[in-house]
Amino acid sequence: MKSKIFEHILSIVFVSALLITALFAVTDTSRRDGNGGGKYQSQQGLGDIGFVEINSPFHRALLQDVADIFYPGSHDRNVSLVRAALLMQERALSDRLQTAYVKERLTPAKMAALAGMYVKFLVVYIVVMFLTYYGVQTLAVWQFVRERRRAGAEDSLGRIIARLAGRLASFAASMVLFSPAYVIAYSMRTDLNTDSTFFMALLGVISNGLLMVYATKFHAFLTAESRKGYVETALVKNLDSSYDAGRGGISAADILRPFKRFDGHVFDHIYRNARFQYISTIKEQAAFLITGLIIIEMALNIHGHLCYEMLRQMLYKNWDVVIAILLAIFYTVKLTELVADAWAHRAALRYENSTARP
Amino acid sequence: MSVIHHSISIADSGRTIVAIDDFSFVENEITFLFGESGIGKSLLCKALYGLLEESGLSVSVDGAAYDRHCADAWTRQVRRTSFFVFQEPSSHLNPLMRIGEQLAEGSLRGADNEREVLGRLWQDAAGGAAQRICEIYPKPYRPSGGEKQRILLAMAFKKLRLYHRDYAAGKPPTFYVFDEPTGSLDNAYRNLFLRLLFEAYAAGPFTALIITHDYSVISEMYRAHRSLLNRIHFKELVRANDGVVRLRDFSADEYLGWLRSQAPAVRGALAETEPVLTVEPSFGAFGRKLSIYGDAERRRPAPLAVRRGEIAYVKAPSGMGKTTLAKLVMGLYPADSLSMTLCGMRITHASSRSLWPREIWGKKAGMVFQHADEALDLEATVAETFTGLPLKQRFNDAAIVRLLGELFDAGEGERLLKRRVKYLSGGQKQRLNLLRSLVLDTELLILDEPLNALDFESIKRVLAMLEMKRRGGTALLMISHNEEIFDTIVDSAGVYYLGEENGNDQG
Amino acid sequence: MSALRCEDVRWAGLWFGVTAALGVWDLLFLNRPAFKRVSIGFVNTFAIAFMTAVCTLVLGWAAAVGLHGLESKGRRVRYILITFAINLARSVPQIVGILFGYIAVASFRESGAWGAGVLMFPLLALCVAVFVFPEMTDLIRERIAHFSASDFYNAMRVCGVRERRIVNLHILWRNSRIHIFNKLISVFGMAVFLLCSVDFIISVGLSSDVNEVSLPVTLGGLLATIDSKQDILAIGYTVTHPQYFPRLFFQHLQGVTVAFLIVFTLLCVHRVSTGFARRHRL
Repeated sequence: MKSKIFEHILSIVFVSALLITALFAVTDTSRRDGNGGGKYQSQQGLGDIGFVEINSPFHRALLQDVADIFYPGSHDRNVSLVRAALLMQERALSDRLQTAYVKERLTPAKMAALAGMYVKFLVVYIVVMFLTYYGVQTLAVWQFVRERRRAGAEDSLGRIIARLAGRLASFAASMVLFSPAYVIAYSMRTDLNTDSTFFMALLGVISNGLLMVYATKFHAFLTAESRKGYVETALVKNLDSSYDAGRGGISAADILRPFKRFDGHVFDHIYRNARFQYISTIKEQAAFLITGLIIIEMALNIHGHLCYEMLRQMLYKNWDVVIAILLAIFYTVKLTELVADAWAHRAALRYENSTARP
Repeated sequence: MSVIHHSISIADSGRTIVAIDDFSFVENEITFLFGESGIGKSLLCKALYGLLEESGLSVSVDGAAYDRHCADAWTRQVRRTSFFVFQEPSSHLNPLMRIGEQLAEGSLRGADNEREVLGRLWQDAAGGAAQRICEIYPKPYRPSGGEKQRILLAMAFKKLRLYHRDYAAGKPPTFYVFDEPTGSLDNAYRNLFLRLLFEAYAAGPFTALIITHDYSVISEMYRAHRSLLNRIHFKELVRANDGVVRLRDFSADEYLGWLRSQAPAVRGALAETEPVLTVEPSFGAFGRKLSIYGDAERRRPAPLAVRRGEIAYVKAPSGMGKTTLAKLVMGLYPADSLSMTLCGMRITHASSRSLWPREIWGKKAGMVFQHADEALDLEATVAETFTGLPLKQRFNDAAIVRLLGELFDAGEGERLLKRRVKYLSGGQKQRLNLLRSLVLDTELLILDEPLNALDFESIKRVLAMLEMKRRGGTALLMISHNEEIFDTIVDSAGVYYLGEENGNDQG
Repeated sequence: MSALRCEDVRWAGLWFGVTAALGVWDLLFLNRPAFKRVSIGFVNTFAIAFMTAVCTLVLGWAAAVGLHGLESKGRRVRYILITFAINLARSVPQIVGILFGYIAVASFRESGAWGAGVLMFPLLALCVAVFVFPEMTDLIRERIAHFSASDFYNAMRVCGVRERRIVNLHILWRNSRIHIFNKLISVFGMAVFLLCSVDFIISVGLSSDVNEVSLPVTLGGLLATIDSKQDILAIGYTVTHPQYFPRLFFQHLQGVTVAFLIVFTLLCVHRVSTGFARRHRL
């Protein structure tokens, strides 16, 4: 654990030093540059001929042929001239698009505003983390138990239809759960306020495949543990082994409970071990979650939120603000990794017989 | 005497794993079941007990679908009254539950003999050592393999107590299975287990099936439990053809007669030369200090010496460090302290790690590891097992088939050549494991449990091949639990004992 | 028929079938310029995702085998430095790292330092692979560690088999290629997700010179166009006005096609990966 903490601290120091140095360099450069407008100035030239659409390959080919006729023997020069004209046109377009050029500096007021956005980001992040921790385990346990429940009585038409409807509903739910956040959000934009924190948290949980991917992982842990020898020993000790919902089995209430327990059942052994293994994937899940939240904020252009603010500042090339936001996101990731490592270490220590003497 | 008969078939995706027409045993008597590893002994018992998970497997018992067998009255009663002690104790205890909790869980909660059973299994009437074990979580190295085995046995004896208490009259059927119950135990603890088992049997008969590779249990039965011989049966599971097996009586006389015919290996002229391997008595690794002794009482430290054409045999309780010693000699573990001479090279704990790959591995010394399943590449074919070795000449298929003929039946080698190792039986894997090292023709060969997983016929063939190697001048260093066999074939001067330097020999 | 019983084969077949059917439908009912855009976006996305998987495999294998070699030779300093660098890459949220990578690639493209066209594909794939390969490295290292801990590794070493052969042939090729292949399937899915997301973000939020002129169009970029956004809005409208549902397949085909391709591909890749792992008991 000490080596892990040391590594985390080292990477925090390294990245902080790197970004803060970059921050000073950027601040210094922008002070020297002044409030310059666009970097590129439109130039009179080949790209400005009115009836020539330089973006069209056909027009470019024609222009080149004309140049070859008027300047024979300079084919390569003609080709590079046409290419340069295209490049100038692209830069001019960029200049025109950046008409709303907003120059912002990293002032204390700006930092205070960023701090507020960061707190909002953290709140959503923590809420989504807890919800997915619960959701992942519940989904996985439900799937595991369902696989092991005995098949019902003979198939009637009603049962077949019900099963088919269930499969369609499951498919539709999977499509929603795997949708990238922007697909769901844009679908709902007319009917819901997609800028609200509640919607953001909901989107964070149900989109980007987060729930499904990690539920599958937890399910894989449950399945792997169910094949281990101690489960057989539990069976021969006559622990309950039915997964049906009745007496001695596992009910819906058992599955939905936030702090799950399955006392007296073989599944208690399986669940304990799977949950212990799952702690080591929290880091990975947190990284995936942060990526998802960043996508949500950026893609939905939610004003006043941290990641959209970063995108906006990247557009306006206010690199000092971008670096400050990057640092904040990096520290969030690092803090999560530290907490996850500490949790995993504490859990492992508990079972290490450190206090029991030989 | 009522005999129970069952026909069992277990297949996976259409391929028969094991099938038997008549899996029979005598009710309320004890059966010892022998047979090479991987032949299906454990699977058949689990199928009968109702423990197999059907996903991916196609199981039928007495022609009926498996779920019908599991719902059958006999199976339900057996699961209520009996117990199954599984083969690998390490993986059969939950690492996230204290041992004490696992001992008192489920149907074992009502048994009142826990303290007594633990006291006897730990040979500690006060119960202190066993009590401390109950407070810990089972981890890979603590408790030891032998202790974990004893915990599972304690569970079985608790269940037996419940059976005798709850079914004093009108005994329902039982089916106690002990799968390699003494695999991690040395002879002393093995004999203790047998005593406890027969005491419980005397309190009230029950059906017990003991799966074992330890043929020396036959000698122990004849030595200490003759009165029970009429209630004991020795059976062997043998292969009929691919996947199909049959049960036959195993002749105790055949084993005992063979054992009596064995004699210590005769030292040849080569034994007068300098030892191939000499290890100074005192050595250490992983913070432990161990010593090699020349006497069973562990009073006389002696250097371990193996000459060409000699067999040396190292004995110690389970978990003492026999395999550790072998791995130190082969440079697989770093030693805290070690001084030895190997093929004329002076080697100590300070020697460079690069010495072994450069000079020793595959050239001067080789080692056969205990578990063939782990030592071999299961995804390789039998032929591919011999590729990549630093052989003096390239081996073509014909040469490999000839080599396989030394330990496999005629025609079997050719049939197995292109087969993946994972599809071989446990005994076949162990023989292949041996051949891979034997083909290197090194001066020294260390063998860690070379008879592991083998049936009686294979044991004889392997010992014959090792004898041939010995006569050819190879120095052999043996590590084995089969004390009875190796005490017979190894000259007493070649037997060494391993112990802690402070004299504590608990495993 | 027995192959169809395997969940991974079924879902792979389903993806091919449904995508082909969708292609035929679009050929009949989607206008030509839109169909061309969707086709190009589809091909670009999958080409870059495939290259990402290849780059991830190469980087992951090189890092893992390199680290194993350094560890076994006792070269602590180099081992620590490389591990530190990989952990640093792991700490960067993938989307942020790829975004900056895209900006860097677009800048180079703009400045004419590198050629256009096909070279962009491997560059973008490398951008994504740099932030994804630590997972592959972890898997390969875990497989090497698993076998090194057992007698497998030592038994071959003492027989004189060379270490490179043990690691690359016996451990990785023979005993781990199924695990690696399964990981590549999920890397492919992750690459599709990240590519579409980054392209969407850039198209929506950043200056258009990064996207329109410089970088290959992917499905994510197509989704960000005004037409597609309106089409997606129509999906939500259908939830509250079910009678509008048939029009999705005729009037809003571009956006619906692109959204469906992205979501359906991600779902199918996940199911193929899960089914494959289940079939091989990974």
